[in-house]
Amino acid sequence: MADEVPLVSMVGISKRYGGAQACAGVDFVVRAAKVHALLGENGAGKSTLMKILSGEVTDYEGQVAIAGEPVRFDGPAAAQRAGIAMIHQELDLVPNMSVADNVFLGREPRTRQGTLDRRRVTRQTRELLDRIGVALDPGLTVGDLRTGERQLVTIASALLRDPRVVIMDEPTSALSQPEVERLFQVINELRRDGVGVVYISHRMDEIGRIADHATVLRNGHVVREFDARSMSAAQAAEAMVGRPVQTMFRTDTESGDSDVGAEILRVRDLVVRPRRARSGRREPNGIMLTVRRGEIVGLTGLLGSGRTELLQTLFGAGSPGRWSGTVELDGRRIRPRGPRQALALGVAFVPEDRRVDGLALDHSIRANAVLSVLGRLSRFGVVSRRVEMRTTGESTRQLKVKSSSPREAVGGLSGGNQQKVLLGRMLLTRPKLLLLDEPTRGVDVGAKAEIYQLLGEIARAGVGVLMASSELTELVGVCDRVVVLRNGRTAGELSTRHSGEADLLAAAMGDMDALTDEGREKSHG
Amino acid sequence: MVEQQAAEKDNSPARETTARWRESPLWRPFRPVAVGGGTGLTAMLFRFQSFFGLAVVFAAAVVFSPTRDGTILFLTSGNLFNVVRAVSEIGIVAVGMTFVILIGGIDLSVGAVVGLSAVGIAVLLVQNGVSVAVAVPVVLAVGAVFGLLQGLASVRFGIQAFIVTLAGLQIARGLARIWSGGQGVAISYGDGPNQAPVVFSLLGERTFGGVVPIPALFFLAVAALAVLFLRVSVFSRHLYAIGGNEKAAWLSGVPVNRVKVVIFGISGLLAALAGIIHAGQLNQGSPNDGAGYELDAIAAVVIGGTSLSGGRGSVIGTVTGALLLGVLNNILALNDIDSNIQLLIKGLVIIFAAGLQRLRPAR
Repeated sequence: MADEVPLVSMVGISKRYGGAQACAGVDFVVRAAKVHALLGENGAGKSTLMKILSGEVTDYEGQVAIAGEPVRFDGPAAAQRAGIAMIHQELDLVPNMSVADNVFLGREPRTRQGTLDRRRVTRQTRELLDRIGVALDPGLTVGDLRTGERQLVTIASALLRDPRVVIMDEPTSALSQPEVERLFQVINELRRDGVGVVYISHRMDEIGRIADHATVLRNGHVVREFDARSMSAAQAAEAMVGRPVQTMFRTDTESGDSDVGAEILRVRDLVVRPRRARSGRREPNGIMLTVRRGEIVGLTGLLGSGRTELLQTLFGAGSPGRWSGTVELDGRRIRPRGPRQALALGVAFVPEDRRVDGLALDHSIRANAVLSVLGRLSRFGVVSRRVEMRTTGESTRQLKVKSSSPREAVGGLSGGNQQKVLLGRMLLTRPKLLLLDEPTRGVDVGAKAEIYQLLGEIARAGVGVLMASSELTELVGVCDRVVVLRNGRTAGELSTRHSGEADLLAAAMGDMDALTDEGREKSHG
Repeated sequence: MVEQQAAEKDNSPARETTARWRESPLWRPFRPVAVGGGTGLTAMLFRFQSFFGLAVVFAAAVVFSPTRDGTILFLTSGNLFNVVRAVSEIGIVAVGMTFVILIGGIDLSVGAVVGLSAVGIAVLLVQNGVSVAVAVPVVLAVGAVFGLLQGLASVRFGIQAFIVTLAGLQIARGLARIWSGGQGVAISYGDGPNQAPVVFSLLGERTFGGVVPIPALFFLAVAALAVLFLRVSVFSRHLYAIGGNEKAAWLSGVPVNRVKVVIFGISGLLAALAGIIHAGQLNQGSPNDGAGYELDAIAAVVIGGTSLSGGRGSVIGTVTGALLLGVLNNILALNDIDSNIQLLIKGLVIIFAAGLQRLRPAR
């Protein structure tokens, strides 16, 4: 076995992005008929490594060989011709086209007359969907599908190419349990057919079930290789983080409940009726939760559980549909009609995707940092340059933003520093309630720890924090309590003092027995 | 999780030097207003692309100018006077267009609003016997309200600015025809009935100090106000933020809709001002006046280096862009170049300028 030429061998792969070393001399091998799990925190270099393999990143150092032949792909098309299929997490489908047209996008078969061979497109799509066990009409419009269904369409599309290597980037994050089972069957089939599979996931239990081999990356280095079947979750987590997990997080939790004050947010029976029935969004559909002054409350649930939509609704930025239920801020019922009003009420929000929803990337740090408080920094509609520079300076110092000058374009900063600029903008509004959506996504480990410390300080200053995250270690490490959502409703609530990641995961997946009695009471009461 | 650093920028050693550069007093005059930007010398070249363009076209105009008795005709004060006067109307419209384009919009109605207000001022002064002090504010208000309504329609119904102002173009032309009864209204001056007050002829004939045409003064004033406004006002920050990332601006509490509506109002107001000047210069208001101005204004904005996708650009760029087009027009006419060939040359210049935009250092 060991002498057999691997399907893919990557040797000494290095790649820098600006100041960040994404990969530093990584060796990685994919063998035929094996499933290789790739583990690591955000920013560890997993995605970069796979982008090099799939031809999306072309300027790297090191050697890539396919079946022993050295190659250097000049783009994704070349990698696809070499039999490498990448299934992206961010589903690259065209929403207004049909399932079949998406599966065949760019590879449309022609009839002898040179026109599109519709019959073949539909037939082959149906065969592929059958193979992965999905009962979907190939004629449906992709935009009308649920996220999980879309995920399966991208998988079908990848299989059309008869790939030798399939890369899956967190394929199960949007899937329901039966869909996950079905996907595992497909992976097992692929393995039987001699395909090499690279499987990126954060879910330890899945990796133990499906993978043969696991590689852990940290800060661009391979730190450990495991036999996936005998690996324990604790071992893997320690390898990923590189230190005992607890020290990453807030160090002030010993203060206990004493400084947790009055209720700042109280949400009861929040239901949002979207305008369009199948908008692909999971709107709040029975949310109950409270956040108290000085408390950090986590919000979790699988993708599509309604976390983002809840935060948006509280910020007045949700779907324009009608909503019912009560939202009380500081004991007063509120109903923010837009972000401007929400900010005026003392509610601040840091969105999930800072590049799309947060920052004007071409603009300077300063212009981005003070955007929400320009009114306060000005007189008669004229901005005081001096006050503005001072405010920006204070904000960037407090948040430890690393930059050469406040005039630097914010797009040139690392993910962590961008996130800090955004967080700083919201803190300048002096909020009572801070809503955070995946506050450490795409943030390197160092900046992450700084953000966690900062959240602790913010809470100590009396702000209520409600933070949605899918990183369970983060939730357990940072939050006082975690509210679990499922299908747009509150499924339960756990105290992080008494529960661990496994409990959270179980609750999110629908195992109610994992909930503490307190949580169960709240969700039914 | 997506590793988002992936899309981030290269950190070359050149960048540190640039950072030091940017802190030096020498750099200060060249600092962008609200926009961070590229690096070093190339960035400066691109920032002042329109100045260099203007310099090149101006030099070419001097070289290729016909001469009479050894004088370069292009450089005679009479000719330069004509250049500036011709540029003023388009320039004023283009300043408004700059605002609209900075938020990532477009205003196709401005040429028609020029026609509407030229007709309006002529009808009010000549046929209705209204005084200048009343007629001018009324016409300006008509332009502003027209713009505001377009902005409202765009914001309320979520229609793209392109579509709304395309419709606005038709509506303004239609209104101009109705108001004028379908034909041009000549303006004659005097105190009698059907004569306009003599004050109004200022726009057409008089100059300031014998050199600067009155319309150019208006252009200068509008441009200076706009530059100042873009430098210091909260509103301009909101405007740049919307152009840079509208969703982010909205989530940051920027009153996106209000800003948009006001900007369309400003564009309409400036188009109306240009229309009044136009009527003064030609001594008539015709419903077909200002046809195609929207395209010249957009060209001036683009040549001036303002990004059509919004968030990046300046009024100074637009002013130089308008001057560049004016000089180009003038020299082509001086040399008796066939008017059809003139169109070709103008088109190529615009493509060249837009092409340069693409070469801008990557963000």
